[in-house]
Amino acid sequence: MRVYFRYAFKETFSNLWRNRLMTIAAVLTVAVSLSLVGSALLLKQSAAQASAQWQQGTRVTVWMQPTASSSEINGVRSQLANLPIVKSCVYYTQAQDYKEALQLLPPSESSVLTVKDMPSSFRCIPTVPSNAFVVESTFATQPGVYKVTAPEQQIREMNRAIRILQIVFLALAAVLLLSATVLILNTIRMAIFARRREVSVMKLVGATNWFIRIPYITEGFIQGLLGSAVAIGAVTALHTWYPLHNEFQLDTSALVGTNAVVLIVGVLIGSVGSAIAIRRFLDV
Amino acid sequence: MIRFENVSKTYKNGTSALKDISLDIEKGEFVFLVGASGSGKTTFLRLLLREEHPDQGRILEAGRDIGELPKWRVPYLRRNIGCVFQDFRLLPNKSVFENVAFALEVIGRPRSTVESQVPQILELVGLSDKSKNLPHELSGGEQQRVAVARAFVNRPLILLADEPTGNLDPANSESIMALLERINRTGTTVVMATHDKALVDRMRRRVIELDKGEMIRDQVRGVYGIDEGVTL
Repeated sequence: MRVYFRYAFKETFSNLWRNRLMTIAAVLTVAVSLSLVGSALLLKQSAAQASAQWQQGTRVTVWMQPTASSSEINGVRSQLANLPIVKSCVYYTQAQDYKEALQLLPPSESSVLTVKDMPSSFRCIPTVPSNAFVVESTFATQPGVYKVTAPEQQIREMNRAIRILQIVFLALAAVLLLSATVLILNTIRMAIFARRREVSVMKLVGATNWFIRIPYITEGFIQGLLGSAVAIGAVTALHTWYPLHNEFQLDTSALVGTNAVVLIVGVLIGSVGSAIAIRRFLDV
Repeated sequence: MIRFENVSKTYKNGTSALKDISLDIEKGEFVFLVGASGSGKTTFLRLLLREEHPDQGRILEAGRDIGELPKWRVPYLRRNIGCVFQDFRLLPNKSVFENVAFALEVIGRPRSTVESQVPQILELVGLSDKSKNLPHELSGGEQQRVAVARAFVNRPLILLADEPTGNLDPANSESIMALLERINRTGTTVVMATHDKALVDRMRRRVIELDKGEMIRDQVRGVYGIDEGVTL
């Protein structure tokens, strides 16, 4: 057994070194495609996390016209208070909204605002997030109401954008994973071709099929492993340095899970590529 | 040791390589396989290695029907059969020692075995002083002796030789024959396919002659030509 491990180890690494250019190409393709897979997975988790968070505090805001009379405001207030689907409401005066706008908007835009331009608003929490739409349809046409906004719609739009991005990422990744498999297959084929004399002698003297095959399988396996190691580095870097991490408050378990998927897919690609090469080109 | 029972083999292109061959080769025999090119000699050897399957009949080696061996057992069958070819088939980037050692390493023999067996076998073939040379630094005869050493280092029960002297001059052919005889004396069954008339005539061993796939002669102490010797 020890003899065998030494042999397989020696063969695998001399094959990798002999075909180093092809090996690098294969490893990089695996790395790029798996980085895309990893990013797509992180993105999906971020999106799920974000929409869950936003929905918890979904608020519907009824903006009054800046010129609305106090009777109009009081009418809306009492209607909101009587609506069973609204849990609670807070009234923001024009001054309060102005203060908030100063915080949210860049100085170049907020400097032209005055308190008089600002609408006052009711910030309401509906009993369930989807009720935000009912509030919207009920109050949009009320006298004195400027506009009713619910973040539900923005969440939906963002989710749609993320979904499209994800599909693009995954489609790209699928194409790249396929080419990575083909590249690995080709490196193994070249390794087998370079060793055809050895292989024919091995068959002749009675080396078992697995003895002949295993160095090539480990070669593909290692290429997949190296590729996924690079991809894990890239995904971790993205997670650490890109603000998605803080904004969406993804915890490290999401990263660990994503990296596990990346690792498994990488190793799988390497093994599948070499298995196909062996079936087709190593006639044992 | 080897038994053919009504063995026939036809290739896919319709060439009939062997027709209804039945024979017995005893343990420790030395057998020449003669016949023109295309008479089926190589097919005969390939069948023994189970590189081909007979269409009909069966082949027994050491009492076992090799056609019934599962595929994964075939390598173990081949460990009992040494092979030598006309074109040597040495690994050009390995030294003489490494070439012979390779045959033991790839069947998982421990290093201690390799280190004791290889020098011993190189001594037997008379190449102890060239163990560090590469094959291209050797003469054809020496290269073939390395090939014989590789075939025999695992002490197989059967040694197959497909025209082992085909690329060699008479003097080198002599030394290879002497070597094969010596191996035969250790009890190894030797089957040698050859065109070398002078060699066969001088050795006076069993001769099996094939012609277009048919066995037309099986003669103890035979010679190459058909009109001499005693027919069984």
